[in-house]
Amino acid sequence: MTRRYALEGVHVLDFSWVGVGPITTKYLADNGADLIRVESLARPDILRLAPPWKDAKPGIDTSQFFASYNTSKRSITLDLGKPRARELVLRLLPWADIVAESFTPKALRKWELDYEHLRAHKPDLIMLSTCMQGQTGPNALYPGFGQLMAALSGFYHIAGYASDEPPCPPYGAYTDFIAPRFAACALLAALDYRRRTGRGQYIDMSQYEAALHNLAPALVDYFASGRVAGPAGNRSERYAPHGAYRCADVDDQERWIALAVASDGEWRALLEVLRDPSADPRFATMAARLENRALLDRFVAALVRERDADALAAALQAAGVAAYPVQNCVDIHRDDNLEAFGFWHWLDHKAMGPSPYEGLSYRLERTPGELRSPAPALGQHNDEVFGGLLGLDAAEIARLKEEQIIF
Amino acid sequence: MASQLLSGFRMLDLADDKGALCGKIFADMGADVIKVEPRDGCPTRRIPPFLDDRPDSDRSLYAIAYHAGKRSVTLDLALADGRALLEDLVRKSDFLVESFPVGYLDAAGLGYARLAALNPRIVHTSITPFGDQGPGRNYKAADIVTWAAGGAMFLMGDEGRPPLEMSLPQAGLHAGAEAAVASLLAHYPREIEGVGQHVVIDMQACIVWTLMNEQAMPILHGDYIRRTGVHYTATGTRRKLVYSCKDGYISTVLAGGSGVGATSMKGLVEWMAAKGFAAQWMVEKDWRTWVPGILMLATERDNEEIADLEERVQRFFDTMTKREIYAEAIARRILLAPVATAADIADDEQLKARNYFVRVDHDTLGRTLTLPGAFAKFSATPVGPARRAPRLGEHNEEVYGELLGIDGARLARLRAIGAI
Repeated sequence: MTRRYALEGVHVLDFSWVGVGPITTKYLADNGADLIRVESLARPDILRLAPPWKDAKPGIDTSQFFASYNTSKRSITLDLGKPRARELVLRLLPWADIVAESFTPKALRKWELDYEHLRAHKPDLIMLSTCMQGQTGPNALYPGFGQLMAALSGFYHIAGYASDEPPCPPYGAYTDFIAPRFAACALLAALDYRRRTGRGQYIDMSQYEAALHNLAPALVDYFASGRVAGPAGNRSERYAPHGAYRCADVDDQERWIALAVASDGEWRALLEVLRDPSADPRFATMAARLENRALLDRFVAALVRERDADALAAALQAAGVAAYPVQNCVDIHRDDNLEAFGFWHWLDHKAMGPSPYEGLSYRLERTPGELRSPAPALGQHNDEVFGGLLGLDAAEIARLKEEQIIF
Repeated sequence: MASQLLSGFRMLDLADDKGALCGKIFADMGADVIKVEPRDGCPTRRIPPFLDDRPDSDRSLYAIAYHAGKRSVTLDLALADGRALLEDLVRKSDFLVESFPVGYLDAAGLGYARLAALNPRIVHTSITPFGDQGPGRNYKAADIVTWAAGGAMFLMGDEGRPPLEMSLPQAGLHAGAEAAVASLLAHYPREIEGVGQHVVIDMQACIVWTLMNEQAMPILHGDYIRRTGVHYTATGTRRKLVYSCKDGYISTVLAGGSGVGATSMKGLVEWMAAKGFAAQWMVEKDWRTWVPGILMLATERDNEEIADLEERVQRFFDTMTKREIYAEAIARRILLAPVATAADIADDEQLKARNYFVRVDHDTLGRTLTLPGAFAKFSATPVGPARRAPRLGEHNEEVYGELLGIDGARLARLRAIGAI
């Protein structure tokens, strides 16, 4: 029988919150894994309290920040600080193939829900713990967000115009968008290892250690030669010109084009498109252009300043030169290429109504994943999970709610 | 020793800098990853900078870092014999990842349909800059161009100055890691049903996935965010994220709120007060409810407090080094990190305590190099680079001879006609 989704039949019990954990487990949920998020009003996922919100109004169920990372998932609520909640977790545990969590290391130990305790109940469990700096070491309890991690793991330092100026960091919690791809690989490979061997295992992911893979060449270089990579603006040793150049404003908004020229042939093609016949010898070869970079940047900047960024990018691409407008967050929502890939989705969220979700940046042709449902409201699936899956009767569920165990 | 996590599986890696990390992740997890390169080498071998600044196909730091643990063979896809070799390799493999222009493999008679006919189990992953459907499906890519197209570039840099790329290009790394995830998503049903599939990665969309909460801002809050240097502006207020100190910069988030935020602010203010840098209002403040411009809109009063706070914090940090500030911040549970350089990272106590970096013998270069180690610690199947990056075509005999069973005479003939 052919399956509809890649991960049909995989069950995930997900205690993770904020960015890395939920983005990781979203890969599983969007591909058919049945995923139950364990949340609590006692310690709500801080993304539920973060903008943007529906109509710019804060609410526990109206954050698109939270919604984007939690499609295709179910939500139950349990105040894990209470012993009766722990019992319910242990009753759910046999159902789960994978447990994921992203607290600072001591939280689950305190509740006796860490790997050592859980595997006593389920020996072949696969469990992912992801936190800032890993479960061990002197800084294991380091609290923080991906914004700080991006500074700690070197990304702020290589972002900027020049080494004598302050850094210009990437937007937001940059490493939160590196670690999940490694963590998802870890879980999927561990699932396969268990299929082959029957053995589960524990995965301790330091977001710091995962993120450093995106800086690997600079680290290898430092250890080998002592050279410290720094901010270099848009300067490249591979392409010239290479950068972002301002084009004509549109509706009083700045427009820029990003372009990169990889060869002398591409350079001549660019001059053709820009109708510049000057053939300045200082720019004739790649070596010369790299040598005269500052001059080259001014030359290109002047040539494109009055051009329309969209039309120019299309013309350069038609001539075989890599170029694209520098897009803002309005532009990406009306981008023809993202549209053709089927990237954007409007899903009808229980509390938010139709809302804009990022789709998948991959497509499995035979078993495509999809946003199977919008993000859950907090505790939206309490009755179906505690009633259906665990078989508690309505009166008991009501009592657990009253005692703020289901909370 | 190679990891057992994916041992027994083989990936053919035909990706350039749009996907080198895919095969690297697989190799770290113990798969047999064979880089299939043109006779003049994968373009990644020519990416600067080079070890000791000596340009050479074995000395690109990019290739050293991202081809560690892989094997290398050469073949020429322009020749029928070269294409036949790839077909033979596909019969013996589980995964193929490539980043050719859309349609290139189809035109060469090696598209997914052909690969699946040779080996129905194959998972064929294609990394594309702008997808395989839209008007830009044949567009050329450079890392900076997809970074711009995906919206990340517009948000980096100072107002009025050019938007920025990271000085170590990132777009291809995101696409490569995404390709690894998607390949493994296809692996799971393949091992149950025995049938692989074609997988397509959209690199531009991978960059959109780095924009955090920004994508929906224009739709839900009515406006988009502009780049503002060292500031964070998601809720209409400028919050400074980077402060100078004696020997560089540190980053901190000056916001309270329940839990770690309030602990952090209280710890910082107590520390500043002890050194005579805190204002009275800061000492008296209840930080548990103070999160303006981070989680909520700021009032005029908030903005005055923010300005005073940021100025005092800046004066305070200017009296110390990164290392001094970070050590005390950890002790006081302040949300703070140094703006670390490669030197700081190499010397970091936490990474040392976890034995993060690994030394890899590069006998071909006559030295040992240090690489990032396990991307995660697995209790049953430790991962990480098991050996150095290969020289160009280093494993031709091994792979063509032992794996494909090609005899010496035919190998010599293939060499002579330039197929290898």
